[in-house]
This record gives sequence, structure tokens and C-alpha cells, in this order.
Amino acid sequence: MATSFCSSISMQAPFSATTTRFCLNKQATIFNNGKTNNLSFSLRRLMPARLAVSCAVKQETVEKVSEIVKKQLSLTDDQKVTAGTKFTELGADSLDTVEIVMGLEEEFGITMAEERAKEIATVQQAAELIEELVQEKTA
Amino acid sequence: MRIRVMSQLQRSLSIELPSLVPLQLPSRMETHLWFIRPDEVKSTSLLKHYSQLLSPTEKEKVLQMRGDELKKNALLARTLVRATIARYQTNNAVDPKALMFKKNMYGKPEVDWQNYTNCNNPPLHFNISHTDSLIACGVTVHVPVGIDVEDKERKIKHDILAFAERFYSADEVKFLSTLPDPEVQRKEFIKLWTLKEAYVKALGKGFSAAPFNTFTIQSKVGTKGEYNLCKMTEMTASSLEETNKCDGEWKFSLLELDDSHYAAICIEDDEASGGAPMRVIVRKTIPFVEDELISESKLL
Repeated sequence: MATSFCSSISMQAPFSATTTRFCLNKQATIFNNGKTNNLSFSLRRLMPARLAVSCAVKQETVEKVSEIVKKQLSLTDDQKVTAGTKFTELGADSLDTVEIVMGLEEEFGITMAEERAKEIATVQQAAELIEELVQEKTA
Repeated sequence: MRIRVMSQLQRSLSIELPSLVPLQLPSRMETHLWFIRPDEVKSTSLLKHYSQLLSPTEKEKVLQMRGDELKKNALLARTLVRATIARYQTNNAVDPKALMFKKNMYGKPEVDWQNYTNCNNPPLHFNISHTDSLIACGVTVHVPVGIDVEDKERKIKHDILAFAERFYSADEVKFLSTLPDPEVQRKEFIKLWTLKEAYVKALGKGFSAAPFNTFTIQSKVGTKGEYNLCKMTEMTASSLEETNKCDGEWKFSLLELDDSHYAAICIEDDEASGGAPMRVIVRKTIPFVEDELISESKLL
């Protein structure tokens, strides 16, 4: 059984005016063989940890992602989309998810690897992955 | 010809659900495909009965769906799985509410037989797929199964070829680009999608085990409704050519369901089958109420 979890560590950089935040394993999927213990790390299979600077996603990114999701799924006004909304809760199937990914790639000028794209389950996760890829692109 | 089998009680349900009508197991190389049309289930008392079959976790998931229609469909999907599998228990009547499910290490759902210690439990495999207007469940014995259904009229919001180039294999892109009519192209794209999804779901190892661009599914020349799976082998350092390895390890079937949907089924091949095509028995159902055998399933 795969579990995804999110942990973040926040540090204040000593001599700079800005706060730097480091996120550890924001998107890691841990396979824990059907056990439901709450160990953060399973020794069997661990996706490589990804360090991303600034895991506090911009509200603007979340909004853009939500717009694309609403359009793809033809949502009605009473179906609210927030950062934590799961695509499956909105009735998205795998074809929808892939179309959403294509829409996001077009909007942000990035390319997502299929395996990572299919792992995206919420608006928040999409926004995080987007910002990570945009960061890498401009780095 | 349509054959209708009614359960004993009338449709207006009073206090309890009637007992389930037992079923014969699928034979080897045979898939039973069950489907339900959500818009045909209108009775609120029936839906209430259905919700009583679900586990607390399942009920929670149903409630998390955003919108009444989505909630109803999620409820019907779990009911379809529980009620259908419970009917295949040949020796002892199984309460659909008592069935337990677990996920394999990659997240694929399967029946958890831990409560049933007698060895007469058939090694049933199942897989479900939903669309807005149809929910399907495939059942096999001994071999893993994956199914995917899509509305035939589903509109793809992106350019088909751009989409295919991004996600499908080179040979599939080639095939799609030879189709001059955009409507035909869209239909073939969707058929391919269902076949590819069915394979990945049958494999049950998660998305990364078989990215869509690493394998090609094409129809077998000279057959109707039979398909081949060809995998790209890894490029070796010495050879720059990619070779396609077509194996018969997986069997496919593509059909048209209820005139409105494409349904793809993929099962692991059993060597004893001798290369015979898969048999599919299609039945439309409303759990606890009625089954309808669709004796002519249109193969594509």
C-alpha cells in the first residue's frame, strides 16, 4: 500500500532578510507493504528525496491549477476546488488527470515525467510539482 | 436476444434486501464483465440499502466525493464489487457486507480472504472502471484482470496527435496519424487508451511499471477484437536500434458496451489456452434486483 506524506522543516537564514524553507520528501511515496504503521520511512522502497526550495506554494499557482482543473472536469459552481481537493473526489479519471497535466504543462511551460504526473492527487501537489519544475527551468 | 433473470422479490423493496442469486464461476480464459447504469438506479431506499453494505472506510470515501451524482456513482461502484463477488462463492453464502479488501504492494485492490479459512475460496480476480454514465467490473478466475471503460463520445480537449506524441508509443502515433478523419482518429485514440489502461491495471504494478510510451497495442491482423502487446526492449549500448518484442503473455478484448462505451479487458494469458481468444460474458445488472445477459457483445 502506498502512502504519501508531507513533512517540512522551516529555518531562518541567519544573515539574510528572507526566510528559507526546505521541504523534505514533499512528494515521496512510501510503500509499506500493507502495514499501517506511521513510520516515515520504509526501508524496503524509498523514492529519492527531493529537496525543493520554498514549499509554500504561491496562491497564484494554486489558483491557476484550480482553473485548469475546473475547466477540464467541467465543474459546476457548487463543486469547490481548494488546495487540498483530490482530483478523484471531483470525479477525475486517469484520462482527465493526464489532460490536466497537459493543460498545466502548456500553462507553465514545463514537462512532467509521466510517472510523477500520474502521482499527482491534489491541487496542492500539482502546484508544488509545477513550482519545482519552474524553479529547475529557471535555475 | 436478451435474457432477463429476475430475482424473486419484486422491485419495491420493503425492509431487507433479498438474498443474492449465486453465480457460476468464470472458466479459465473467460472474463465476466458486469456493468451498471447509474441513471437506472433511482430508488432512494435501494441506495440506502446499498450504503449499508459498505465498510466505514468506503462510506467515508463516498461522502468525500464532491457532488451528489459523484457520491451516488461511488456508492454504486463499491456495491457492484461487493454484490458481484459475493455471488461467486460456490459453497457457503457470503455476506457482501462481510467481504474484505486490501491492496497489493502497488496499490491495486484485491479481495482479502483472511476471514474465510476454508480452501474452497476461488482465486477470484476483479477490476473496476467508471465513467459518469457506466460502472463496470470484470471478474476472472486464476488470472489477473484489468478493465477500462470510456464513453465513446468523450471529447478530448487537446489535439489528438499532440496528446499521442506526448504519451503514446511511436508506432501508435504513426498509426493514429494515418487516419484522415478526425472523428475516426478520436475514436481510435480512445480505444487505444482503454486498451493501454486495461493492460497497466491488469499488470497491477502501478503507473511507473509500464509508462504508456514503452509499449504498443495493435490489432492482430486477420482477427476481430484481438490485439497484440509489443514492448520496447531497452536500447543496449552497442545497438542503437530499438526492437519491439511482441509477447502473447497478455490477452486483450475490446468491445462496445450498451452502444455507448468502449470497454477494454486485459488478462494474463494462461498457457493452457493454446492461443484461443478470450471469451467475455457481459451482463448488465442492478445489484439485488436484476441481471440482464447481453448475449451479443460487439467485438471491435
